[in-house]
Amino acid sequence: MAPSRIDWRDLLLGLFLVGVATGTLFATRNLAVGHAADMGPGYMPRVIALALLGFGLFFCARGAWRAGAAQAIEPVLARPLLAVLGAVGIFALTAEKLGLAIASVVTVVLASFATREGRVLETVPFALVLSGAAVLLFIKVLALPVPVWPR
Amino acid sequence: MELFDNLLLGLSTALELNNLGLCLIGVLIGTAIGVLPGIGPIPTVALLLPFTFGLNPAGAMIMLAGIFYGAQYGGSTTAILVNVPGETSSVVTCIDGHEMAKQGKAGTALAIAAIASFFAGTLATVVIALLSVPLSVLALKFTAVEYFSLLVLGLIAAVVLAHGSVAKSLAMVLLGLLLGLVGIDVSSGAARMTFGIAELSDGLDFVPIAMGLFGLGEIIANLERPTERRVVSQKVRDLIPSRADLRAAFPAMLRGTALGSVLGVLPGGGAALPPFSSYALEKKLAKDPSRFGKGAIEGVAGPEAANNAGAQTSFIPLLTLGIPANALMALMIGALMMQGIQPGPQIMTEQPKLVWGVIASMWVGNLMLLVINLPLIGLWVSMLKIPYRLLFPAIVLFCCIGTYGIANSLFNVWLMLGCAGIGYFFIKIGVEPAPLLLGLVLGPQLEENFRRAMLLSDGNFSVFLSRPISAVLLAVVAVLLLAMLSPTILRNRRAALADSA
Repeated sequence: MAPSRIDWRDLLLGLFLVGVATGTLFATRNLAVGHAADMGPGYMPRVIALALLGFGLFFCARGAWRAGAAQAIEPVLARPLLAVLGAVGIFALTAEKLGLAIASVVTVVLASFATREGRVLETVPFALVLSGAAVLLFIKVLALPVPVWPR
Repeated sequence: MELFDNLLLGLSTALELNNLGLCLIGVLIGTAIGVLPGIGPIPTVALLLPFTFGLNPAGAMIMLAGIFYGAQYGGSTTAILVNVPGETSSVVTCIDGHEMAKQGKAGTALAIAAIASFFAGTLATVVIALLSVPLSVLALKFTAVEYFSLLVLGLIAAVVLAHGSVAKSLAMVLLGLLLGLVGIDVSSGAARMTFGIAELSDGLDFVPIAMGLFGLGEIIANLERPTERRVVSQKVRDLIPSRADLRAAFPAMLRGTALGSVLGVLPGGGAALPPFSSYALEKKLAKDPSRFGKGAIEGVAGPEAANNAGAQTSFIPLLTLGIPANALMALMIGALMMQGIQPGPQIMTEQPKLVWGVIASMWVGNLMLLVINLPLIGLWVSMLKIPYRLLFPAIVLFCCIGTYGIANSLFNVWLMLGCAGIGYFFIKIGVEPAPLLLGLVLGPQLEENFRRAMLLSDGNFSVFLSRPISAVLLAVVAVLLLAMLSPTILRNRRAALADSA
């Protein structure tokens, strides 16, 4: 990558904060603000959102102008990111419908795709063992109210 | 003596069979996650929170506290044998500890680390007991005004003293405060930022946020780095250090304990600062500083003592004032609130059994760690042989189930998914999210006390300056913030924290 004149770390953080702040201001636009002696529900969110907006703009400005100090962001690897997030997502989709036993296996197998080191012959039995342990621990011992098998 | 009565009450609580068992479970889990690099105490405590519902409050706190200081013990084992810090707090132990292991003195290094930790833990327990009473007496004078100022001080100090950019940390605190506001407003009943989602009306659960930001985000980032782990393969022997070793290590232990106890009380001083400061001090005091880095026993004893003392005294602000010193203590506050106990200055008078039970359990737990750690060293070493490719899917699964378990809601799993993405984003852009957790936990209290203070003073902001205690607290905040702007301090701070970042 060519040496960047922009500090992407600061700029991205700034944009993120500005986004959150404007989102908050928009979401709380109908709440009563009140005044200091008798604050409405909208008072604190607005104060904090404005402060965040200030920080966000500060980071944007610093990121755009502070040339030379920029540290490049290490490249994002799609594999671990997608596999781990996907594993959590598939758990959320399957846990209540298919039961903990199946959801656990699917989650562990999907998560292990995050690295190239995984071997199917190792991953699948391991997922089965973990699933059994999870059912024993969380449902039998800790009485988590989630079905074991599909309903 | 009131102190002895209190400690006795604490000991009798800690020695109840139930609580002894929970303490043992806590320190065992703590040691295990401490030994394993890649999973820290924050996601572990977050993971176990939902399952402390059924326990009594004292038992729950005893177990969670055990995880925290147990992790400090375990972290040093990995540092010595693998040259990889199991926890951030044991980064320094790597330097001389691993060097000792390479010279065939792994057993001595492990034993000194354990003994130093136990020694520090014992003294720190006494420090906590001594400091708690006067602090809580002071705290009883607090009204909403003082409490608001104290919360501000806690947040600002945590930001200034922790590592990372101050501006970024302040932004993270604000972000946390904002997230803490989500839900039904207590005084008006209006829904704030719930976007019509029913699950949000009670506010955001901090467990999915903590697990997403700290647990899963970290895992994704870890997986991008190539893994290489070499365990020093030697038989660990000589677990009983020689007299000469002990004599060399003792002064370092003492100094480390003193330093760690002081730094631990400071907000933000949590894990990284005490061992680094202690190592620097030992190196400065040594007759022959060149021995450091080549297996100096003081370089293990001092930081290990400092690290454990700091871990324990960081409970002082929590137990006396209800202010968390770091992100982990913020989780502890969460645990208290789940038990229906409002953390705050009144906690000591209202829950003496809980507070003193936890304090006494730390000493009991430290003793357990000393006894179980050395003989079981082989077990911990074999745990290190579990490859990360098997470890992380298991952690992902347990995070999912644990998050689901807090409220039996899939919404929390989705929330954790989102936070994992944000946590990864933060790691990529070099932002430390720990202050966010502090803001999230303290946000509701901050708003409530601010509103109450404003109501009392009829909207007059000068009330924070006209009351003496509050004025002093805010003056400290001002000094801290001004000090951050001074270039010399800024440079020193950067140098002091450079290695720990």
